[in-house]
Amino acid sequence: MGNRIVVPFGSQHVALPEPVSFLFETQNEVITDVQVNIGYVHRGIEKAAMTKFEFTQLPYLVARVCGLCSITHAGAYTHGIEKLLGIETNKKIDYLRMLVVELDRIHSHMLANGHVAEVVGYENLFMQTFRYREDVMDILERITGNRVQYDYQVIGGVARDFDKEIEEFARKKLLKLKANTEKLMEFFENDYTFGLKTKGVGTISKEMAAKFNTAGPIARASGLETDARAEYDYLPFEEVGYKLQTRTEGDVWARNMVRFDEIMNSIEMCLNILDGIPEGEHRVKVKGRPDGEVFIRVEAPRGECFYYLKGNKTKVLDRVRIRVPTYANIPVLKELFVGEKYSDAQAIVLSFDPCMSCTAR
Amino acid sequence: MIQMFIESLKNLVSKPETIKYPFAPSPEPKGYRGTILYNEELCIFCDKCENICPPGAIKFEVVDIESGKKQYNYNPYLCIYCGACVDVCPKADEGCLIQAETRTPVLGESIVKDKRLGYFINEIDNPKLVEKKWRELEIRAAKSREDLVAYKKAKRAAKKAAKAKVSE
Repeated sequence: MGNRIVVPFGSQHVALPEPVSFLFETQNEVITDVQVNIGYVHRGIEKAAMTKFEFTQLPYLVARVCGLCSITHAGAYTHGIEKLLGIETNKKIDYLRMLVVELDRIHSHMLANGHVAEVVGYENLFMQTFRYREDVMDILERITGNRVQYDYQVIGGVARDFDKEIEEFARKKLLKLKANTEKLMEFFENDYTFGLKTKGVGTISKEMAAKFNTAGPIARASGLETDARAEYDYLPFEEVGYKLQTRTEGDVWARNMVRFDEIMNSIEMCLNILDGIPEGEHRVKVKGRPDGEVFIRVEAPRGECFYYLKGNKTKVLDRVRIRVPTYANIPVLKELFVGEKYSDAQAIVLSFDPCMSCTAR
Repeated sequence: MIQMFIESLKNLVSKPETIKYPFAPSPEPKGYRGTILYNEELCIFCDKCENICPPGAIKFEVVDIESGKKQYNYNPYLCIYCGACVDVCPKADEGCLIQAETRTPVLGESIVKDKRLGYFINEIDNPKLVEKKWRELEIRAAKSREDLVAYKKAKRAAKKAAKAKVSE
């Protein structure tokens, strides 16, 4: 029996891309207890949305909740407001929205996988992943006009029209990305040393995933079939070849591989969308003030994102509630650490792809 | 193993993926969402752009209460370049409010002078004073609005009184 030592991990740490703090109580090398603190980037966005901003300005505000999934947040909000106002969007708008949502998922998953590679000691693989990720960023930049803050989905449509030139550009880049991702995926799947650090580490069983209500790739890596894209009908994903991806191992490696499976599926979907973008207007007319309440479930890259909106026929909404996937995954993370080695803690945290600016808002 | 050697030899001679940004230029991509440019001659002063701007980077200040003349002020350092104002502008097709593909220079070093950027930025000479002056302008603009409303109210009341007098 060794001495008990408390090791702080975060809120600022070289292995962490986000400010979250863990206090690990360790015995020799094994973690016996853990405390989590997540409130480092609280900005009061929900309160601001209910007091300072009008509902027409909110797509731009909620897009700034998170840098990576800004498309998801703006999409969820516009979808909810359109339900409240009774606006029917046409097929072209739906397809363009689906295209950016899937491109967003690709680059978010590549970032997560790259970070896992970095913390298990593969600096080079991390750089390769990020190099290939640039292609997706270029496509998004070309479609929306900005690299990080897209502001593409607005109430009643999308901000910009889509033309033939962008389509050709996107198709060329996507085919290049597909070949590159296959190369990367082969390495992640078959490399022996990478497997030593990731296989069998931080295993979540199917029962555990269901009990702690996990969301997104974490649940799907444990064999739990949950995906808001299939369960909640907000965009016609089935039409463009969406398939649910699951793995059964439930460890760090399986989470990475589920992400790669989803990237491949998303690339397929994007190519299908580019093949058949319907004709039509990219904006429809918006009239009226929101009244009543609505809830929306959308699939963010990290899992299920929940929005609750309540309007009262004025310009300012009564209530805006955001529940993000990382928040749903924190309880199982806490449980998972007990009994694991401290040296594996970084890989486990990063395989969850935590987004703290979403969580704290 | 052989493949690894081939790959590393290739990497030795291949060009880097990155660009040396401060020394080499980093051009704006096609369709970049950049600075908002304004044309006063076409503006109908509907204030729609001011009302939708999420950070409040567009402010109209009433300069002459009697005629109700307004001035367009734009702070490119507060702007988030979302393009909401251009979307909502009723005269955007004619070029009243457009989003150019150029970037704004860094704050604190130099200041851009362009008539199309509105009155605020053209009146400032010291780039360090931008924030302070903008805060003053925000207060001034809000006050000028209140003054205009009060003036109009008083005018209406006077008109009513005059009408009542005539009918007597």
